[in-house]
Amino acid sequence: MPILSLQNISKKYGPVQALSQVSFDVPPGSVFGILGPNGSGKTTLLSIVTDVLSADEGSFTLFDQHPSAKQRRNIGTLLETPNFYHYLSAYRNLQVVAGIKQKSEKDIPRVLELAGLTARQHSAFKTYSLGMKQRLAIASALLGDPDVLILDEPSNGLDPVGISEVRILVKQLAQAGKTIIMASHLLDEVEKVCTHVAILRKGKLLLSGPVNAVITRDDFLEVGSADNKALKAVIEKHPAFVQLSATPEGLLQVIFKEAVDPAGLNNWCSQQGIWLSHLQVRRKSLETAFLELTNN
Amino acid sequence: MLQIIKIEWLKVKTYRTFWILLGLAVVIIPASNLLVQDITSRIPKQVQTLLGTSAYDFPLVWQSVANVNSYTSAIFALLLLTLVTNEFTFKTHRQNVIDGWDRKEFVYSKLFWVLALSVTAFVVSVLTALFFGFFYGTSAFNMEGFYYLGYYFLQVLLSLCLALLTGILVKRAGLAIVLYLGYVMIFEQLLVVTLKRFWGSVGGLLPLQTADELLPFPLIGKMLPGVQQYDNMVYLIALLGYIAVALWLIFRRLLKADI
Repeated sequence: MPILSLQNISKKYGPVQALSQVSFDVPPGSVFGILGPNGSGKTTLLSIVTDVLSADEGSFTLFDQHPSAKQRRNIGTLLETPNFYHYLSAYRNLQVVAGIKQKSEKDIPRVLELAGLTARQHSAFKTYSLGMKQRLAIASALLGDPDVLILDEPSNGLDPVGISEVRILVKQLAQAGKTIIMASHLLDEVEKVCTHVAILRKGKLLLSGPVNAVITRDDFLEVGSADNKALKAVIEKHPAFVQLSATPEGLLQVIFKEAVDPAGLNNWCSQQGIWLSHLQVRRKSLETAFLELTNN
Repeated sequence: MLQIIKIEWLKVKTYRTFWILLGLAVVIIPASNLLVQDITSRIPKQVQTLLGTSAYDFPLVWQSVANVNSYTSAIFALLLLTLVTNEFTFKTHRQNVIDGWDRKEFVYSKLFWVLALSVTAFVVSVLTALFFGFFYGTSAFNMEGFYYLGYYFLQVLLSLCLALLTGILVKRAGLAIVLYLGYVMIFEQLLVVTLKRFWGSVGGLLPLQTADELLPFPLIGKMLPGVQQYDNMVYLIALLGYIAVALWLIFRRLLKADI
């Protein structure tokens, strides 16, 4: 049973087609990243799922049922910006959230502690820094320990320590079996935590599925020698050679059509009279793969 | 519904602006009547004898208090506008829905305030009328004319429904308050005067004017030359009709539109 299943969701803002026929399923227990450049429709999609916007076409189910307020009460959501009553303290704001979610107020101290806000829990929201506001929004999403979380750019406004803490938190939640739907343009973040992705560009779904199936990221070898010109000529003669490019650091990145043993390559080069000064197996970064995908 | 009221209470419990505006709206009811009572008590003895009764004698006190209070009900509307536009400013209307309120429940939460403030205005007015009737009046207690306070309750209800509609459509606090007060205090009055001059009594059928027509000041009403008017029932139906239309627009907007 998918946690969320989208069928042909479309949405227009005036002449702008924000989403066009988007369909995909979020399996239970996955950390599902929704990726895309700014303006690709990530927040619009999550706003439709949370009933802030209505889709022009298409439908979706939550927990295999027609979506309703009752299901939203069991999903922890952080959408776009932290929205709280400015004049209320963090604690009182969470009391309002607990009331709406029909969850016990006894859980408030736990989530405030998780977000590192215990010491400032009785200060008014308007006195909070941007990072603290974001932390409160994360605390609010965690209230009642929901099995499903929707996090839209959860690291927004956080300092490096905060970003790392959120990443660890997401990993811990995933390990605890929670399903996490996370929109982000920070690919590093997604690469480190997501099991599945959906990639959007200009409102269209490019691909979706498990990370490694969606984004093929072939291994490649990075090599260097005293004479890179000669090395290039030698490498191009290798039977498994596909493609070669130079890095700004003066190294060569080589893609082979099959996995090549580094020791074998080193041996092969030496037989051709080239001694390698650098040899490293590397993997294409998600960022490179993503840019290739979204630019096509 | 109890759950919704509990949550609304959490939102205002420590909100100082709310309590200051509410205090002002409540205190102004007896205060403005005290002022009017003071003015009417200075009417020369001969004129009072001619009028037959004083404005704060039972049973006229019900009508007098209802009429005087109808001029200050905009303060309750300002309070409601503040509560409603806060939700849009802080985007908490979205968050309430995201967190698990049905959009209908959000509308109910604001309609709760419409009703709660109307009831508060009504109860304070009843207490004020009783106090003035017993303290300043010279006649025995009499419930005749109590229905004027019922008209006043409906006037506050309509004022608050229009304020809620304005808040939902305009969303920004400053603009909503200016537009609302501009309409209530100037624009509708201008329309009423113009319509009455050229088309007669139909001018009395504009939204808030319906309540004004139902709530004339007792003594002055007697002194003015007869003004052509519809039957009270016509104004009452029109007033209820405006409340129904405002509610329909409020629901339609919040249930259908993107928030």
